[in-house]
Formats: sequence, structure tokens, C-alpha cells
Amino acid sequence: MSPALAYMLPLFPLVGVLLNGSAGVRFNSKTVSLVACAAVGLPLLAALALLVSMAGLPGDERVLTVTLYTWISQAGFTVSFGFLVDTLSMTMILVVLFVGFFIHLYSIGYMEGDPGYRRFFVYLNLFIFFMLLLVMADNLILTFLGWEGVGLCSYLLIGFWFEKKSAADAGRKAFVVNRIGDMGFMLGILMTVLLFQTVNYQELHRALEGSHGMAVTLPAVTALLFFIGAMGKSAQFPLHVWLPDAMEGPTPVSALIHAATMVNAGVYFMCRMFPLLAQAGIALPVIAAVGAFTAIYAALSAVGQTDIKKVLAYSTVSQIGYMFMAVGSGMYMAGMFHLVTHGIFKGLLFLGAGAVIHALRGEQETAAMGGLLKRLSLTSATFLLGLLALAGIFPMSGFFSKEVIIWGGFERYGLFYWFLGFGGAVITALYCGKLFGLAFLGEGTYDGSIHKPGYSMTVPLAVLGFCAATFGVFNLPMLAGKTIFGNFMASTLPPAQTGDPAVSHALETAMLLIVSIVVVVVLLAAMRLYSRRRNYMVQLEENNAGLMNLLFSGFRMDHLHDALLVGPFKRLAAFSSTVLDTIIIDGLVNRAGAAALAAGRLFALLQRGTVTAYALFIAAGIVLFLGITLAVTS
Amino acid sequence: MELYLLLGIGILLFCLGVVGFLVRTNAVVLLLSVELMLNAANLVFIVFSRYLHGTDGQIYVFIVMAIAAAEVAVGLAVMISIFRLYGLLDISKIRLLRG
Repeated sequence: MSPALAYMLPLFPLVGVLLNGSAGVRFNSKTVSLVACAAVGLPLLAALALLVSMAGLPGDERVLTVTLYTWISQAGFTVSFGFLVDTLSMTMILVVLFVGFFIHLYSIGYMEGDPGYRRFFVYLNLFIFFMLLLVMADNLILTFLGWEGVGLCSYLLIGFWFEKKSAADAGRKAFVVNRIGDMGFMLGILMTVLLFQTVNYQELHRALEGSHGMAVTLPAVTALLFFIGAMGKSAQFPLHVWLPDAMEGPTPVSALIHAATMVNAGVYFMCRMFPLLAQAGIALPVIAAVGAFTAIYAALSAVGQTDIKKVLAYSTVSQIGYMFMAVGSGMYMAGMFHLVTHGIFKGLLFLGAGAVIHALRGEQETAAMGGLLKRLSLTSATFLLGLLALAGIFPMSGFFSKEVIIWGGFERYGLFYWFLGFGGAVITALYCGKLFGLAFLGEGTYDGSIHKPGYSMTVPLAVLGFCAATFGVFNLPMLAGKTIFGNFMASTLPPAQTGDPAVSHALETAMLLIVSIVVVVVLLAAMRLYSRRRNYMVQLEENNAGLMNLLFSGFRMDHLHDALLVGPFKRLAAFSSTVLDTIIIDGLVNRAGAAALAAGRLFALLQRGTVTAYALFIAAGIVLFLGITLAVTS
Repeated sequence: MELYLLLGIGILLFCLGVVGFLVRTNAVVLLLSVELMLNAANLVFIVFSRYLHGTDGQIYVFIVMAIAAAEVAVGLAVMISIFRLYGLLDISKIRLLRG
């Protein structure tokens, strides 16, 4: 494993940003896209080379640390600008670069003719740069730098079409909600510095091994603070409200940032901090509870959505909930594996949705689609692959990642938790079936001409579709506990604690079969109902308009936020502007001015305007001061 | 005694100038009063210069005379301007600078 390769990874996207950002004004659109794609494609090759050399090493040597320079050094506390490439960050790097590369490729076709073409690719490359910084950082503070950087890029790209008010508002909302999470992250860093006097991951890991003589409360508080940060970035309840609105951005952005990479940063970060979580007691159940609740809540909200991208957005929130369920059950590998498969199939789904929106010239309502299977066969086929993976149908990748999480939750927290995971999976199947039935099956309701996607859009769809279908093989053999992916990660992440293998195998297989069969049935039923008996289902939804509206608005979370946070804040602002600003501050300033004016008027009375008076004053002054001088000196 | 006599004349001239400046309202007379005060000062210079057997005081007199000439030139020009504007030179009636 050569350090030069590790340096190259973030260097290329940065060069891409600088090149396109400065000299790019003179490039034509072809050169711009070529530079941008190369800035992601070349580090992808470097990352693959790193992976190959890493796989050739024995398990405990699969770690590469490189330090560029010392960033902060203050009285025994140092922060280096360094990278840590182990199997965990390697996995994430590959997801970022692989999905990122194909989304860059896709954007060439999708963004064609947009006046902000160059700006778009500059932002995308900048995002990849910051994401790699986040993933590869060897300490908390550098991670935080990348964390904020991707937040910035997310803000810029959600509001990419900023002349639309809704897009600008959505960008701002994402930024503000993320600030709440970031505050938790920053406080967590402060706690870590106070407790361990270091922010380096490897040193932290060593400090947390064995006995450190620390009460369990402090690590628990630290872990929960970090989890608040992860909740903001990874859109977990109640900080998820920004993600559905973030769909205002261009669809490749939704695929890259709001499905495949950035929103998963919270899960990745929690896995990175697993030594802390292991010591934190209460933190794991809290994470699991938040994850399970979010998984169910967002899946239910997704059922009520009518916009194809919003369905996928809520689905992303729900699936990240599953990842946190895995993390909260101590199954970091399962969480990471679901992160990878979800990154692939959700990226694919968003790209497919983008292809549909592109083909229908901006139409996003599922009700206005229908019958697309015949008219957009490749897009529909890959979209179906993605949906099957999302629903967790055997043998798609999603099956392997999700079943492990549901089963692992049962082993750790019992039957109720298993039901939560099971319920989430069923609802997922329901909205997947509904989406496919409405948009792709049945009679066509869109009569305009279809804008066929070009090669730059179909190739990524095909590649990601293939991966979504086959990536599950890395989680074989499933029941033995030692999977291919698990063996690769074993040098970085701890194995899940499993129960008695002899007892559990039969039970596990049975539960797995139950989940799989129910999910398939629900999916097929939903597809049939929403395609063949569409009018009946539409009527049914209209009869239950109250329920559907509740689901559509995500259980009125936006209203709740408005009432609890935005409303009081607006009242505070109104109070400040009327009372504090107008009366107190303006009052003070005006009084000061008035006092000066009054004093001026008073002294102006001396100004008689007659020469004689002036002369008299001069004479009187001379006499006065002479008198004083004489009186003092004598 | 001669010194006191001459200084007394100087003080008398100066007081004449001050009183004239304060009492009269005609601008030209005011200029004359200023000249009186200046020349009273000149007289004192010369008296002391003779008394102390020096020449410095006499040099100052020439400087004061030059300045007085310049001041009168400017002053008269102002008077003419005022007269053209208002048609009178009564400074008790011209109060543009009143606050």
C-alpha cells in the first residue's frame, strides 16, 4: 500500500475544482465534463489499486496512515492533517468514488444545456473532495472539516437553481437543520478532547481499550452528542425534515449526496467511533431506538408521497434508520454493508427517477406517469432492479444487507425489535410496489413525446443495476457469520455478538423465510393493485384523504417544527425588531443625537452675529484670563 | 518719567481704539480703530526699543506695519463688497452669522 496513492485520492478532485473553477470559463462543455469525470475516475483507479494491495496483506496490516503535516500544535495537544486508510474507510472511499464517478457520467447527459453546467461540475468535484476528506481523516477535527465541507456543497447543490424560491429555501433549511446536528458534533469533539486529550482515531481506540477508569456517564454523553451530529447529517428523526425538501436540487445531486454518500456519513462516523459506543452503555439502545422509529416513520411517510423523488427521499431516511438499527445492535459490519448496498441501489433509483423526469420533460408526479415500462424499457428494468433490492427481495443485494439487520436486532433486543424491522420491511415493499405500479405499469397517462436518455445516462444505470443485483454475494455465506465482506472488515470493526449458533440457525432461517415471503407477497399485491385496479386504489385513497394527507406531510413534522421552533423564533425576531431595536437601540441613538442638538442650540445663543459683540467677548476673555494669570502668579 | 509718559500715550491710544471699535457702528471707522490699536502697540515697541538700546522692537514695527497695510487692503475690499450687497456699512444691521 503506497502512501502516494492515498494522497492522490483527494488531490484529483481538488485539481478538478481548481481547473474547472478558474480556467473553466474558457472550456467548452465537453472539456468541462471531461475534466470533472477524470477528477473522479482517476482516484477511483487509484482506490482500486489500493484495494488490491490491501487485500493481499494479512488482516492486521491492512491499515495505512499518512500524515501531511501538523495542523494544530498546542501544549501537548496536536492535530495532524493526516489520512487513515483502513478497511472501513476503504469501503467508504470506494462507495464515494464508484457511485460518484457514474453519477458524474450521468450528469453529462442530465445537465446538458443548463446555463450552470460548469458551476454544477465544480460543486460536484468539490463535494467529492470534502467527502474523501471526511472519510479518510485520521482525527475528529479533520473529519469535522470534511463534514462541514459536504454540508456546504449540499447547500450549494440543493439551491443550485436558486432563482426558484423553493430551491433556495430548501437549501437554507438543510443548512440550518444541519447546524443543530453540527453543534452536537462540536460539543462531542470538546468532550473527547477533555476526556482523552486526543482527537486521533487510533489513539482514541487505544485509550478506550481495557480499563480507563472512567465513569460510564461521560463516554455515554460524548457518544450521544456525536449521535446528534450523525442524526443531523443522516436525516434521522426529528432532524430529518431537510431531506425531503432537498429534492429541489438536480436529480444527480439527490443521487450522489442525498442517497449514496453524504447522508450515510453519520453511519460511517458512528462505525468509526465504535470503541466509544462500546463503552457508552445507554448510547447503543438509544441509537437503535431512533433508527427503528425513523425506519418505520419514514417508510409510512413514503407511502403517502406523490412525487417520485420524495418517495425515494423518505425511503432513504427509512433505510438509514435501518443502518442505525444495525449500529445500535452492535452490528457495525451489517450497518456498513447496508450502507454500501443502499448507496448502490438508491443511487440507481435516483438516477432512474432522473431519467424518467428527463424523459417526461420535468414531470415528477407519479400519478401523471404510468405505462413507462413499454416506452422506457432500459430505465424501467434498472429501476425495477433497484426497487427489488430496496424491498429486500432474494437474491438482490438489499436482501442480504437488510435480513442480517432484522435478525441481528432480534438477537440483541428481542421479538418486539424484530417486529419493528419486519414492519419496516413490509411497508418498504408496499411503497416500492405502489411506486412501480403507478409509474411503470398499467395504462400510460402521459401523452407528450418521450425524451430518450442518451448513453451517458443509460450506461451508469446499467452498471449500477448490475451491481445492485449482484453485490449481495459479498455477504455470503450468510448464516455462518463469517462473510466475505465481514472477513475484509474484520481488521477494523468488531464482529457482532451472536447468540448460540446451534439454536439460532433454525430460528434464523425460519424468520428469514417469513420476512422474505411476506415482503414478496406485499410487493406483488401492491404492484397489481396500483396497475390493474388503479381507479379503485385512487378512489380508496380519496376516501381516506385525511390519512393520506397525514402521510403526505410526513406526520406534519414541518408543522410541528414551525410551531415549536420557527414560530417562537419568529416571535423573538419580531420582539427584537420592534422593542429591542426600535425602542431601545434606536431610542438611545436618537436621544444622543437630540441631546447634542439641544446643546448646540443653547450655545448658538452666544452667536449674536454682531461684530461688536464678538469684540466684546474677546476683550472680556482677555481681561478674564489676564486676571486669572495675575491672581495665580502673584 | 519720559518712559511712563510715552507708555501712557500708548495706552491712551489703545483704549481709544478699543472704545471706538466697541461703540461705533460704521465699518470704516472700525477699521480706523483697529489701526489705532495697532499703532499704539507700535509706539510701545519703539519706546521700549529706545529705552533698552536695542533694534529688535523697531524691526517688529515694520512687520506690524506691513501686516496692517495688508489687513486694511483686505478689509476695505470686504467693505466694498458689503456695500455693494446691502448699500450700507452699518455693522449693527448686518448679522448674517447669528446662530
